[in-house]
Amino acid sequence: MPARAGGLLVLAIGLLAVLFASVTVGARPISLADVWAALTTVDPDSTTHRIILELRLPRTLVGLLVGAALGLSGAILQGATRNPLADPGLLGIEAGAALCVVLGIAVFGISTLSGYVWLAFLGAGIATVVVYAIASMGREGATPVKLALSGAAVTAALYSVTSAFLITSVTTLDQIRFWQVGALSGRTMDILWQVAPFLGAGILLALTTGRILDGLSLGEDVARGLGQRVQLSRAYVGFVAVILAGAAVAACGPIAFVGLTIPHVARAMTGPNYRWILPFSMLLGPILLLGADIVGRVIAPPGELQVGIVTAAIGAPFFIAFVRRRKLAEL
Amino acid sequence: MNVSVQFAPVTLVATARRRLKARWWLVSSALAMITLVLMAVALTVGDYPLPVSDVVRSLLSPFTGQVDQANDFIVLGVRLPRAVTGLLAGAAFGLSGVIFQTVLRNPLASPDIVGITTGASTAAVVALIIFHLSGFAVAASATGGAVVIAALIYALSWRGGVTPYRLVLVGIGMAAIAAAITSYTFTRARIAEVQQAMAWLTGSLNGATFEALLPLALGLMVLAPLAAVLCRPLASLELGDDAAKALGTRVEVTRLGTLLVAVVLASFATATVGPLAFVAFAAGPVAKRLLGPAGNALLPAALVGAAVTIGADLIAQHALGRTQLPAGVVTGAIGALFLIYLLAAANRSGRGA
Amino acid sequence: MANVKFAGGFAMLKSMLVAALLFSFAATPGLAAEWSYTDGTGQTVTLDHVPNRIVMHANTAAGLIPLGIRPIAIYVDSPVAEDKSLQGLDLSGIEIVGEAWGQIDIEKVAALQPDLFLAEWWPLDKAFSGLESGAGSTNQQILKLAPITGPTQGDSIVKLIGDYETLARSLGANLDDPQIVADKAAFETALGKFKAAVASKPNLTALPVWAGTDALYVAATQGSSELMDFAGWGLKLITPELADDRGYWETLSWEQADKYQPDLLLVDNRSDTTMQTAAAQPMWTSIKAAAAGQVTGWPAFWLRNYKAYAQALDKLSAAIDGADENLTN
Repeated sequence: MPARAGGLLVLAIGLLAVLFASVTVGARPISLADVWAALTTVDPDSTTHRIILELRLPRTLVGLLVGAALGLSGAILQGATRNPLADPGLLGIEAGAALCVVLGIAVFGISTLSGYVWLAFLGAGIATVVVYAIASMGREGATPVKLALSGAAVTAALYSVTSAFLITSVTTLDQIRFWQVGALSGRTMDILWQVAPFLGAGILLALTTGRILDGLSLGEDVARGLGQRVQLSRAYVGFVAVILAGAAVAACGPIAFVGLTIPHVARAMTGPNYRWILPFSMLLGPILLLGADIVGRVIAPPGELQVGIVTAAIGAPFFIAFVRRRKLAEL
Repeated sequence: MNVSVQFAPVTLVATARRRLKARWWLVSSALAMITLVLMAVALTVGDYPLPVSDVVRSLLSPFTGQVDQANDFIVLGVRLPRAVTGLLAGAAFGLSGVIFQTVLRNPLASPDIVGITTGASTAAVVALIIFHLSGFAVAASATGGAVVIAALIYALSWRGGVTPYRLVLVGIGMAAIAAAITSYTFTRARIAEVQQAMAWLTGSLNGATFEALLPLALGLMVLAPLAAVLCRPLASLELGDDAAKALGTRVEVTRLGTLLVAVVLASFATATVGPLAFVAFAAGPVAKRLLGPAGNALLPAALVGAAVTIGADLIAQHALGRTQLPAGVVTGAIGALFLIYLLAAANRSGRGA
Repeated sequence: MANVKFAGGFAMLKSMLVAALLFSFAATPGLAAEWSYTDGTGQTVTLDHVPNRIVMHANTAAGLIPLGIRPIAIYVDSPVAEDKSLQGLDLSGIEIVGEAWGQIDIEKVAALQPDLFLAEWWPLDKAFSGLESGAGSTNQQILKLAPITGPTQGDSIVKLIGDYETLARSLGANLDDPQIVADKAAFETALGKFKAAVASKPNLTALPVWAGTDALYVAATQGSSELMDFAGWGLKLITPELADDRGYWETLSWEQADKYQPDLLLVDNRSDTTMQTAAAQPMWTSIKAAAAGQVTGWPAFWLRNYKAYAQALDKLSAAIDGADENLTN
């Protein structure tokens, strides 16, 4: 127990360091003194102050909440579906969000990021409901395998409709190709206020699902034997995961790799107990996301590399090395 | 003990086997019929007005010598290569998908998800946008990309052997890297180039010619029989590594061999028509559900793949009024609907997925 | 002598007959008249008659329709409504045989029995519009129906329009038609006004950009034919230092958006949302010209005829006239 608590403390400190770096490091070199000045004596005409307050601060806060949300939703989904490959994309969340955003652009001419937020949220929610409904048809209800198959099927169907729009409208393609990479750049305070309530509520709820996930991850029969109402708890944790992942996609576009890798790293640190995996995932998520974002800001001057690219570029090899080294629990 | 009682279980098994075999033949013939009908429709329906008699005359013209330049151009130069490409590419994708899913013992493990076709796509996008290659060079890059990424995945998941589980995980990781490279290339390219790449990436049967089809046709001729030969050891792999070893199967060799066949099939198909979404993924589960416990799903999966591809192309060309879409846009929808229907109908047999 | 007189008369008659025959030969349309066109790579397409069933790419149609040459069909890289070059043109009676990049409905085209395809040649891609590499061998099949040719994309839209005039003339257009003459005159007037506006503001600098949510993209002058025209007429365009890949754009993080400070911003107007996206970025106003409202549209890559060019130049002239040239020194 003390070791894990110690680990949590170390992670918290690490997170604070990353938050600090996220505000002080960027495409434009700004001295620490200027950063401090920006946060204390706000000068509305100074470009550097505006960069800190209007670009880096919202970006950091969004990255913090979204990173935590992605880490948590990945952990919840992997526990609830007993599939170490589960990630929010599996439930059609990203495909649903993308389709709704594309429809918004192509049909209604919506073109601002804050406009996309509600569209993405709506699409994510509808897709998940459809996936779950399809997987629940038949006698056994939504078994993990059926859920995965149903998710893949719905994702494919949604992506084909999406690509139909992208092929037939250049202006839509031109806008979506940037959103679709997943980025923290351009996320302002409006976006933060739009998604913060959902992300905040989702994170709090997620932290309480530890016991349920411990039960579910032992397998249906054991869980039932322990007195858990399996269908209901699965639906509940699934709902929480979808709120988190849906809000994350709504804010930043699809950032696929974080939800997949973070729970594995967390589990390697804490063992199989979800009451620890969840808080560890909550801290590891933003560390990865903001860390990747910071790398993206400085690696391609004077431009930037979007965070979705960096998480794949550094996350994926790390994940592969990870898979090779450790003995991971089989399905 | 009564002799008839002693032999009863054997008779039961024999009858059951016969019934399963009959079901296999039924399903396969039905799928073959559907594919043929779809091909016939593909040959006779189109924007160039041609009565069926003219189509038949064109088809027979290499033998009868009754040549009509304009009609033959449409039937033999446009529609026939397109239909045959759909048939062969769909069959290759279907076959590749079902092999992957069987070897990796996971219905989610198809070449598109494990990163093979993603690798092919990334190689093609890089060839198109960064190196400005065209036509055959792009197809060759796609094949190369698929093989390279498959080799990487296999090598990276080797730890004294390859468990399906580790292979799939590594594959998903590699797919993510490949997809990120593609996304990144898209954000750096001019919009016209992105459109070019999208056109390739969506997968289409446009402009199919017999020359372009040759590598795929040859590949199928060699690999399909090979897959059939390997399918018995494959069936034993489904029982688990230990059981298979006990039955005398050389597990690693079989796994590597069949995966190699599947990768080459998928890469040739991708090089010819682009990554047709979802055909490889859906063909296996659909075929397995139609067959029930009746065993070998290789041929039915190939037929399902072919039918889905040709059907999707027909819909993409004709069902949307003035707009012509590439086939890949519709294969995802069709494959998905097919699969969803079967998932929903699961309560009848009572079997889990 | 009578013989000599007769002989002379006969000779004259013979030469008159020969002359008459020659005359009628030349005057009879199509009898010996060929049509040929040599494209920028030196390849010549020859037909035995002046083509009148032509299938064109959208940009070429935008160049030729105002000059009186109407295609029987066009193929467009995007839905017709989204193509800026076709805006304002009367497309009645013209078949649309493709509305997405790389998609040409070959059966529809075959049914129309074309005798020529016209599209622009892009030297960098070494291909005609619609036959670039992404389409693979897809559209090569159309060449079995008719040959393809067309003018080359170069560093000047004015030169391109001139090439279209030459092409139109060879196809039988009457360039003395009053509407065509009026369009050209309107262009000359607009050009005069533009040059005067630029000359009256010698300190004015301009920056062509495209705005995305993740970055601001600054265009390199030599990547765009109309920017080259503007520069040639005296407009001082700021050239980015680090134009990437093939020298078209420099990517700037929004934190670095104030790297270049022009007096006038030219925002790519192929899509209306670009301007909206730019305005929504907090650091847009760190560019003084944006904060002062000195922003106008840049007709990027889609101008193909005198009428559209005249309208674009008038808008630019108005923006230049209204701009403070000493906003940034």
